[in-house]
Amino acid sequence: MKYMKINGPKNTIQLTLVLAVASVLTACSTNVTVSGDYPSALTKPLPYHVGLVLNDSFTNYTFESDREQNVVMALGKSQSKLFDQIFSDLFSSFSRLQTASIIAGNNVDLVVVPHVEEVQLAMPFETRLNVFEVWLKYNVQVFDSDGEPIADWLMSSYGRTQTRFLKSEEEALNQATTAALRDAGVRLVIGFKRVPEIYEWLKTQASSKSLPKNEGS
Amino acid sequence: MKAYLWHRPVYLVITFCALLSLTSCSTSTIIDEYRVTDTHLEIGDNEQIVIMGRRHAGEYETEPDFIDCIGNKIAATGKLSIMPEQQFLDSLYPWFEPRVAPLKLKRMGRILEDPIIAERIKSLGIRYMVWVDGNTETTEKNGAFSCAISPAGGGCFGFASWDKTSIYEAIVWDLNQLDEKGRVKVETKGSSYLLAIGAPIPFIAQVQSDACEGIGSRLKGFFLTDETLSSSPKPGDRTMRDGARRDRTMRDRATRQSHKAKP
Repeated sequence: MKYMKINGPKNTIQLTLVLAVASVLTACSTNVTVSGDYPSALTKPLPYHVGLVLNDSFTNYTFESDREQNVVMALGKSQSKLFDQIFSDLFSSFSRLQTASIIAGNNVDLVVVPHVEEVQLAMPFETRLNVFEVWLKYNVQVFDSDGEPIADWLMSSYGRTQTRFLKSEEEALNQATTAALRDAGVRLVIGFKRVPEIYEWLKTQASSKSLPKNEGS
Repeated sequence: MKAYLWHRPVYLVITFCALLSLTSCSTSTIIDEYRVTDTHLEIGDNEQIVIMGRRHAGEYETEPDFIDCIGNKIAATGKLSIMPEQQFLDSLYPWFEPRVAPLKLKRMGRILEDPIIAERIKSLGIRYMVWVDGNTETTEKNGAFSCAISPAGGGCFGFASWDKTSIYEAIVWDLNQLDEKGRVKVETKGSSYLLAIGAPIPFIAQVQSDACEGIGSRLKGFFLTDETLSSSPKPGDRTMRDGARRDRTMRDRATRQSHKAKP
């Protein structure tokens, strides 16, 4: 194995230049892996078996922004954790499915397939405010046990945090995104049953199974 | 000889610093307190209070550390049990998240109609919920200073000042009776300074801390009698408790306090 030998001032200058260029290139980049914990939802579970399909584009989702400042934010694992948690609390029975087409044999009443539609960030250098903001937009597709589409629900959530409590941009973005995901959980728990198409489906199912009352609404 | 000393810059600086520390960094606090009844609020041994910050407004949010500060002030008496805000939010997720948290008692009543939520609140022993709304903001900035560093050393030079204002209102809800038990509004203002001659010397007014002290001590008084309170009321306080007419008494019960902040 050969190692580069640094001899004399010429090489030292070159090395310094390389380090300087490398530091300039990496200095304006923010890399965040979102890691939040989400509590159990306090709700009466709907008496159905739901199959949740989280495909690779969802579980490994990484947001990249190359506007003035390069931001790379991996939120796939964290959002998968949230959706797992919420749908296992929202329904009495819950399964993770590989694809939406694998319905037969799983005995599911509903299949839910979420997709990330859009992620937006607002950072202090853009807004001149001492606040980090994150918007998430999901398309939650819902299918019945025959694989027929019931609803395409566009759901958005918002989270923010303030820099004064935080040590770094990474930590600030992590907190803002965790807050946005927590807000997405609120939308799922409270809003899912109120989506008109899903509400109609639940009403139809209520003829064979008793429909629970809306909690806290 | 004395006159000669005063011409030395170092003495001027020391004098200026001394004057600053004596005359500046002061905060002024105004507290408006309203109570529904003269009697102290009863709370059982197994019952708790939760203090929550309002975060529904777009332009500001009540700081979590301010909520913690009030909780610590009240818990410091050792006679009242305070549930941490985050623990409460997690236990009742998602019903008290900013998007859906009840702003009025009527909405709170509807939330408590859900047996799952009511049962959880009961099992946690939450008797009183205190909502705190407001924030601390910098209202004015003046002056400038700059720092430089060189192989021979570094230093700063300049003068800067800024004013901060804390405005908070706490509302006490009784979850058993589902009614409001009182309000405390605090407004604290203070100016901070930074003098830089070589090394920067800050004179920071503890605006938010004083607001926390003001609101915390008043809230303690809602639940504990003067005898049980560890800190007795200050001589300058003029709090009255007739509790009959809300609109009038909210304005009448102004208690003014002044504190000197330490640099």
